[in-house]
Amino acid sequence: MMTQMVLRRIGIGFVTLLVVSLIVFMGTSILPGDVAQIILGQSATEETLAVLRAELGLDQPGYVRYFSWLGNMVSGDLGTSKAGGASISSLIDSRLGNTMKMAGLVALISIPFSVSLGLYAAMHPGTWLDRSVTFMTLSTISVPEFFIATLLVLILAVELHWLPSTAYLSGNESGVQLLKALAMPILTLVIVVSAQMIRMTRAGILNVMSSPYIEMAILKGVPRRRIILRHALLNAIGPIVNVIALNLAYLVSGVVIVETIFAYPGLAKLMIDGVQTRDLPLVQACAMIFCGTYVILILIADVASILANPRLRHPK
Amino acid sequence: MTEEFPPKAKQAEIKFSDLTPYDKALAEKAVKSKSRRDMLKLMAVTGVTAATAQNLISGAGKAMAETPKKGGSVRMASNLHGPDDQLDPALFTSTIDYTRGRATYNSLIQHADDLSPQPELAESFESNDDASVWNFKIRKGVTFHDGSKMNADDVIYSMNRHKGEDSKSVIKSVLASIVEWKKVGEYEVQAVLDGSNADIPVLMGLFQTKIIKNGTTGEGNGTGPFKMDSFEPGVKSVHSRNEDYWREGANLDGCEITAITDPVARVNALIAGDMQMATVIEPKAFRQIEAVDNVKLLSTPAALQLGICCLKNTAPGENDDFVKGMQYIQDRERIVNKILRGAGSLGNDTPISAAHGADFCSELPQRAYDPEKAKFHFEKAGIKSAELFVAPVTAGIEDTALLMQANCAKIGFDLQIKKVPTDGYWGAVWMNEPLNVVTWNMRPTANSQLAIQFGPGAKWNDTYWNNDRMGELLKASLSATDPAERHAMYCEMQTLVHEGSGMVIPAFSNINDGIAANIMGMPTVPLGQLGACEWPERIWLA
Repeated sequence: MMTQMVLRRIGIGFVTLLVVSLIVFMGTSILPGDVAQIILGQSATEETLAVLRAELGLDQPGYVRYFSWLGNMVSGDLGTSKAGGASISSLIDSRLGNTMKMAGLVALISIPFSVSLGLYAAMHPGTWLDRSVTFMTLSTISVPEFFIATLLVLILAVELHWLPSTAYLSGNESGVQLLKALAMPILTLVIVVSAQMIRMTRAGILNVMSSPYIEMAILKGVPRRRIILRHALLNAIGPIVNVIALNLAYLVSGVVIVETIFAYPGLAKLMIDGVQTRDLPLVQACAMIFCGTYVILILIADVASILANPRLRHPK
Repeated sequence: MTEEFPPKAKQAEIKFSDLTPYDKALAEKAVKSKSRRDMLKLMAVTGVTAATAQNLISGAGKAMAETPKKGGSVRMASNLHGPDDQLDPALFTSTIDYTRGRATYNSLIQHADDLSPQPELAESFESNDDASVWNFKIRKGVTFHDGSKMNADDVIYSMNRHKGEDSKSVIKSVLASIVEWKKVGEYEVQAVLDGSNADIPVLMGLFQTKIIKNGTTGEGNGTGPFKMDSFEPGVKSVHSRNEDYWREGANLDGCEITAITDPVARVNALIAGDMQMATVIEPKAFRQIEAVDNVKLLSTPAALQLGICCLKNTAPGENDDFVKGMQYIQDRERIVNKILRGAGSLGNDTPISAAHGADFCSELPQRAYDPEKAKFHFEKAGIKSAELFVAPVTAGIEDTALLMQANCAKIGFDLQIKKVPTDGYWGAVWMNEPLNVVTWNMRPTANSQLAIQFGPGAKWNDTYWNNDRMGELLKASLSATDPAERHAMYCEMQTLVHEGSGMVIPAFSNINDGIAANIMGMPTVPLGQLGACEWPERIWLA
């Protein structure tokens, strides 16, 4: 039953990837200018454009380019960057590592932090602590992340000189240096993603708390702590895991603003650079990674909620 | 919004170390030449008294006496990078490419701070009488980083990449007058032209004319002062001093070249000390930089135009009165003082500024802000509204457009501003939309600056203004040897552009960069950011 579900979802995942690649291809194609024009910029002339286009294979019709990209992709060849000529796997390789490093560290801090804070707030609704958590999360959700990031840089780097203002990596940092270099973007992202997870945890638990079986448990005299951890949490875990999954996927694909402000060479910035230079194979490769991340994380979240809730295993 | 540049408050106790590198260069020049004129110029620029100026000059004498120290390394943050970062000189288009090129390769010629062409890999150069054949003697004993010797074959190979049908070079049309490169000997080459061109040596110093090894596309193997240890497009490159360099070489042990695309983050990284050099400091960040001691602003006067192109081959630019209206509605003083915060100079609707030296036509009367005249010309043209496409191609251009819009509204003209992004701009908007904005890197000579944009039928004649007299003068001025005659020709050309073209140039921006206060020996070549990227071989850390 479960295996069947997982297999079906993986199948749908591949279809999604295919559709996304087609949409991205068409979307990038309708942007003004092509990669040859971007490379030559203000200095482009008709002749030099024609030479460069022929060299990059841009003189072929769109569908030919799409299917040759698809064929190479299926055989595991991501191709070369049209803009600079480097192989795309080499461009992505180090960036993927950077993105995973950052996302992993942020997740490691923010998930336990937000789930426990959300649980705590749910256990003591209406107290000053609950109210201040609500106030803080609402504030950080409403403030854009570039503001949080710039504020942190001004205070911690420019004024106090505690942390470096950019996450510039020379490539030979020790563990402590690495943590110091990454501290500021990690802090920004922890603030940004935690707020949503805290609120979701708190709301999910409180929602379950109003159901009849919890009332029964309360009437039996079960302590509130035990009710939440044994009875409520397992039933609320579905939405919580899904919010966590969405936030993790965001950490992989959506952190372009934080990467830009801290000059951190991650995947999201690479994709934006790819779009700006109309570097189609690069954009496609990034899109596939991002889409794949979403498919896998949501799948894991669904499996987790099914495992936590036996009722979902037997849909009516 | 009321402060001036440089701020008046600081001037009472101004010391040599407080000066911007440009002013320092002025002071040093005053010391060297002992000329009253240079001293007066320094006083005018910094706004100090004669006594203070004397102090400054003695400070400059001291600084000059200090010998450059070896060692240390710097990190430079440019404003743009991406997967299109290049090691192929023929495709260099951005500051980060130029800088890597400057660190890694050499050209035949390099530009001095005063824009004069100096021999680099060419030991010497000379032309025949009418400047239609140029000979370059190539320096002997120069090796590429891989150990192979550099000779005439490498030079001819590198130069031929800019010509011919299968060339994709960025400067193909700039060097189009060179018909053939001939090998004269193992260490001598000859450029044969289709006519006279006295500017050939200067053009041999362009960012894209780097000499690379025969048969390669550059690949980071040059003859330059730094070897390339690593290169990741869109991330960074790491360079270390070339110990086998053919001349004395760099003072720095190494440098790292990267970019921070966000302007606020770039300034913050400079002030926090994570970066020692940052390009393109926006005028609104000047105060932040001046408030701290560990960094200094490098503001170099240059002919970096804030240009508004009115295409002459279509409405509304084809109407001369419309263009006049657009020119008179420019509040030029305000653009320089408020939008550029003083780090710029007035434009007179020609691409030539005082930074071009003797060829600048100072006699041409300055066009002033005159809403009445603008109204008169717009009404005469019978045009009540227009749409201007604006992308942030250079600092201040968007604010200039908005100021223009507000001033137009006052006289009942409806100027609509259509903001568009920079990516794709050069292909889709510039030279296509009837009204658009432009900027050009300053060209090393007034002739190339005028020819590229206003030569009849030129590839990048971005207002489609074709004037036969202009074409004649562009050609004749290249062989004019009498200074007075030459100046008269350049003045006539600037007057033609000022009166007849579709170009509106209300102001020129300085080149504004920020560097750590302990960086010494900074070049001030006005052809690009950070002294036209000439710094890697020249700077040292105090």
